[in-house]
Amino acid sequence: MVDSVFLALSVLTIGSAIVALEIRSLIYGSIALMLTLSGVAGFFLLLDAPFVAMFQLSVYVGSIAVLILFTVMLVRRELIFNKVEDKRRRYAGIGLMIVLMLGIGTIIIGSGLKTMDTNSPAVDYKKIGEDFLTYYSPALIVMALILASSIIGAMTLARREDVIDDQRAD
Amino acid sequence: MSTIAPQFRLSRFIGSLFDLIFWVILIFSLVGLPIVFIVLFYIKLPVINNQLMTPYLAMTWMADPSRTLPIVKNFMHTTLFRVMAFPGFGFAALLAAATIFVERKFLAKMQLRVGPLYCGKIEGILQLMGDGFKLMSKEIIIPAKADKPIFWMGPLLFVGAAGAFVSLIPVAPGWVVANPNVGLLAVFAVIGFFPIIAVLTAWAANSKWTFIGGLRALHQMVAFEIPLILSLLGVVILSGSLNLSQIVESQEHFWWIAFLPIGAIVFFITILAELERVPFDLPEAESEIVAGWLTEFSGMMYGLIQLGTYLKLYAFAGLFTVLFLGGWNGPMVWPPFPQDIITQGITIGPVTAKFPGLPLFDQQMLNGTLWFVIKTVGVILLILLPRGVFPRVRIDMILHTGWYKLIGLAFINIFIALGLLYAGVLGPGGLLH
Repeated sequence: MVDSVFLALSVLTIGSAIVALEIRSLIYGSIALMLTLSGVAGFFLLLDAPFVAMFQLSVYVGSIAVLILFTVMLVRRELIFNKVEDKRRRYAGIGLMIVLMLGIGTIIIGSGLKTMDTNSPAVDYKKIGEDFLTYYSPALIVMALILASSIIGAMTLARREDVIDDQRAD
Repeated sequence: MSTIAPQFRLSRFIGSLFDLIFWVILIFSLVGLPIVFIVLFYIKLPVINNQLMTPYLAMTWMADPSRTLPIVKNFMHTTLFRVMAFPGFGFAALLAAATIFVERKFLAKMQLRVGPLYCGKIEGILQLMGDGFKLMSKEIIIPAKADKPIFWMGPLLFVGAAGAFVSLIPVAPGWVVANPNVGLLAVFAVIGFFPIIAVLTAWAANSKWTFIGGLRALHQMVAFEIPLILSLLGVVILSGSLNLSQIVESQEHFWWIAFLPIGAIVFFITILAELERVPFDLPEAESEIVAGWLTEFSGMMYGLIQLGTYLKLYAFAGLFTVLFLGGWNGPMVWPPFPQDIITQGITIGPVTAKFPGLPLFDQQMLNGTLWFVIKTVGVILLILLPRGVFPRVRIDMILHTGWYKLIGLAFINIFIALGLLYAGVLGPGGLLH
């Protein structure tokens, strides 16, 4: 059962990823990207990590895919993308991917990860939260600072002085 | 003289009926029966009255009344029943349909109109059924330059997402379709799909009205999703759980709205915006952009969107009840099932009828359902109320409310919850817990 679900999810994820790269229509491409991200959420569910799966769905599918859709719909395609039809680039890309996959594969096979304990109980998300707030608290603080500074940076960049704001609601 | 069917011959009509019966019997015996037996092979059959219920015995429930109730009771505890009937689709669709009718009458009374009046003689009670039949019998028109696959998928996905949302709402102790440990996060994940569906169908219809409406829906939903999530964190902090059933159980003595009124208000406003209801109904502003992102839908496609919208309304009202109003908790007002009927049966004159398997539902479940429905209907009425009172607000006011004010209030709510937690008043191990 789990094996067949895993296979179906793999086919869905990889297939829609290829579609997302290759299809001409930008809208269908972003729909395929959504399917890929949902497939990744499915992998997390299979790995007994529903917490991560739900965040994958709500952040990646619910927000980032929406952002991509937004951009695709609002901006005229000719302005951001110019078609470069080059066969050599495609083959170079495929070759690069194969080299990368082979490298990662040899690393994984060469490492000690040969057996897997599938019967171990799932890690409770409360335990992860506890660890975050105790042992890994410096990492949490650093992450929070990075996120806060990036938000402030984004707001500074998005701020426009030249807009006359007499139409504002307040 | 005009007749409806001038070529009518009774003999041909009867002959065609026999033809039909012949084909039905043939197809059923060649295709239907094998499918039934293949399916029965995989279904796990229950044990009733110390006897495995084979398909042959299952048919005896009509003849043997001692078997009827146990079989029905057994069916009521299957997942199929939960998905289709009680806490799932049937129950929610019933409440949603009632909501549509009540909304029309309620608004009419508020504005000193009469509302639906003629259909069904008494206060237009059958209006909804009439509308349903009308929608089903209408033609589905697809715009010529529409993107057909996405346009067809839109209503189905919308109802599907609304159904997924409904399945997460616990109605009574143990009566919930899906009860994941991360129930609230699953709610957030499901809510995230609605703007995508809205903007995709709006784009696919290839019309200016729908596209403007879809973009407005996207703006509005994305802006209000963040305060929605933030306003619920207070409840999670105080109850110490993301599981919706456990959140209800944590409100056995007091409702969270008593301690987190700001969160409840923020959540209520975001509900109005997520449901695109007045005063936040810009995506469907009928006086500006026809019907917004629903303009090009016709027939049952529009019917499906309507069903999905009201399922979503029920689910949001149920979520408000579960998180802030104590869910199924309430004083026991449902009368206990009379013991005489269980032990002695019902005696009418000389006949005594015994019903093994009673009661069908336990008292707690019925009481919980009663309280849940009362509270949810109250919240639904509160959601309907602004439509009779408020005008529509401007888009910049909506975005300003969503991004500035509600997020700020949601953070204040989180700080109140944290203060109550660290003061040791509430929360796991608190004074009042």
